[in-house]
Amino acid sequence: MKRIIIIYLLLLLTSSAFSQTEKLLVPSDLKQQTIITEPVTLHKGFFRAGLLLNYRVADRYFDSSGVKQYYRNSTWGSKSAYGITLQYGITDRLQVDLISEFMNTLQETQNTEIDPGTNTTVVTVDKQRGIGLGDSHLALKYQIIAEKERKFSLSGRLKATFPTGAKNPRNIKSENQYDLPVGDGTYALGLNLSARIITYPYSFSGYLTYTYNFTGEKIFITVDQIEKQFKLGNLFETGLSWNIHLNEWIVLGNEVNFYDEGEGQIEKAPSTLIPASWALSYEPSLIFQVYRFRLGESVKIPVLGKNVPADPLFVLMAQYIF
Amino acid sequence: MKYLSALLLINLFFFSSWLNAEGQNIPPARDKYQLLTMPYNQRQLTLYRGQLQAKAGYKFAVRAQSFNADGDLVYLKNNGTGSVYHYYFINLRYGLTNFIEMGAETNFLRRGIREATITVVSTTLTSTDRVTVNKLTESKGHGDIFLYTTVRLPIRYKWFDFGATGGLFLPSAKYEPQKPANTITSASLSSADTYTINLHYNNTNGYGVPVYLVSAVSKCSFRKFSAEAEWAMRTPMKEGKNIRWEETLTEKAFSYYDESYSYLLSNIYTFDVSLHYQATGWFNINLNGSFFRTKGGWTEYWGNKYENPEKRLINLEPGFELQISPSLTIYQVAGFPLSGKNSDAPFYVFTTVSFNMFPFMR
Repeated sequence: MKRIIIIYLLLLLTSSAFSQTEKLLVPSDLKQQTIITEPVTLHKGFFRAGLLLNYRVADRYFDSSGVKQYYRNSTWGSKSAYGITLQYGITDRLQVDLISEFMNTLQETQNTEIDPGTNTTVVTVDKQRGIGLGDSHLALKYQIIAEKERKFSLSGRLKATFPTGAKNPRNIKSENQYDLPVGDGTYALGLNLSARIITYPYSFSGYLTYTYNFTGEKIFITVDQIEKQFKLGNLFETGLSWNIHLNEWIVLGNEVNFYDEGEGQIEKAPSTLIPASWALSYEPSLIFQVYRFRLGESVKIPVLGKNVPADPLFVLMAQYIF
Repeated sequence: MKYLSALLLINLFFFSSWLNAEGQNIPPARDKYQLLTMPYNQRQLTLYRGQLQAKAGYKFAVRAQSFNADGDLVYLKNNGTGSVYHYYFINLRYGLTNFIEMGAETNFLRRGIREATITVVSTTLTSTDRVTVNKLTESKGHGDIFLYTTVRLPIRYKWFDFGATGGLFLPSAKYEPQKPANTITSASLSSADTYTINLHYNNTNGYGVPVYLVSAVSKCSFRKFSAEAEWAMRTPMKEGKNIRWEETLTEKAFSYYDESYSYLLSNIYTFDVSLHYQATGWFNINLNGSFFRTKGGWTEYWGNKYENPEKRLINLEPGFELQISPSLTIYQVAGFPLSGKNSDAPFYVFTTVSFNMFPFMR
């Protein structure tokens, strides 16, 4: 009996003990979390800077009947926006964002006019370019229901838009020869509610946003150059997204987005210059987390819509967390 | 005592199951995970035996410039005739042996090319009438199915490889253009003679005749660097027949009729040279130089055969290959046109996702 107990104890001595262990996360680990594993707001004291490049050309559009059409006349347009985002975690649940962008828009049109009576041909080339600082945004994001394991989080975001971009056409030479405005020329206030749940390696989220546009004044007709009071239609936006970790540092993102913008008004009357519009889009993305760097690319593809561009929007993103 | 012995036996049973038996272990030459994660600089030109690869790609091109017959660059966006090009492709390959593979490929494209808008003005003593003509040529549809076989040197890849491909484009796509969808819109309510004509031609995608492809490729590697060169030629099996739509405008109404014509496709030659650097096991960056040329062929107009203009284009394509998981790889290249002749010169981004597996290997 004694020998058996000794053998048993010896066996126990050589055995490995397994127990539940908890990995300690240090701040440097927290700064390397992916868009799936990171919390919905930055940790207290964390600062993140980001660059964003948007690019879209004008080739097709959804008309007022919702039919996808090519632009028929000889016109070519492109729009690039180089955005900068600065984000700071005031507390573990409250984050402040400052967003601004540099715009580069181009629109070129050519028309050849032939007059057989006088045997003359006039070729008119209109080149309109808009370069400069666009509108800026200040946002506060708060975790209303903090994220817990296997439970969803709910966060609210209040975003104010400041018309820092030039709202009027500049350098006007003629009706069709001028520099394009790069800003909307109006203040706006938006409220966003979003919910997210993580079931590693997936995360699912949904959001609702409503943006109220205040009235402003700007030039709509370059001939008279008179500033007119206007109000953009209010914007409702909603979306669902689901992300998946392809490996530990690459995330495939998917989002379905819907927005509806009401008809705008000029001098308190509905105007065809600011028509009501809506779009349903799908946006796949790939996001690479390389230590504290985050690089991403996505394509927003308009699937259905009315009075909106039908060309894909390409987005490149780079972020670094300090 | 009896219970203690039983407890001991149960314990011994569990301990024995935890023990790892270490002995002489001859690892298999290469398991499927090794093969699936083989870096580019150690990978042979064809798939491995039993390997199945499915690829899907999307090319987005911005046609903002072109090269004219003299090789000069023409900025299309300056006269409003720039356009974009969407090209999707799928490809399926299977490794029959370590040196023979078979594959099938097809594509879908969509593009619309605008021509410069022309307005004809007619002035009388009492009015000025304008007729504006917009012209859009849209190309949309599935491409032909391409079936091919590739063979490579029957040796294990160390630093040099050579392969050859032979294949055929089956004329499976709808190649005849569809009836134009021209419209007329009135631009002025006050004058019935001021209006806009929108010409909209609907082309399809596909050769219309079987087309052969032959190609040769070689690859050599030195440490983390590799170089690959590929030459390919496409040539039609025979002359083809197609239709051309003509329209008549009477009283602001179009009527259409089609006319048959014959054609012989031009031969297409491509030559690609790429330099690769294997930064890590899962990331390869490369710089590719691509040369494209067409020669020969003719198209019939009004009973006469006119030689197709020769086209040339040289592109520079920086790109990367990123292995996300053993079965999933992403490739991306950006194309920058350097020089050419009678050819569009688009900037493009081509993204391809590749899924790999060994369906019959454990």
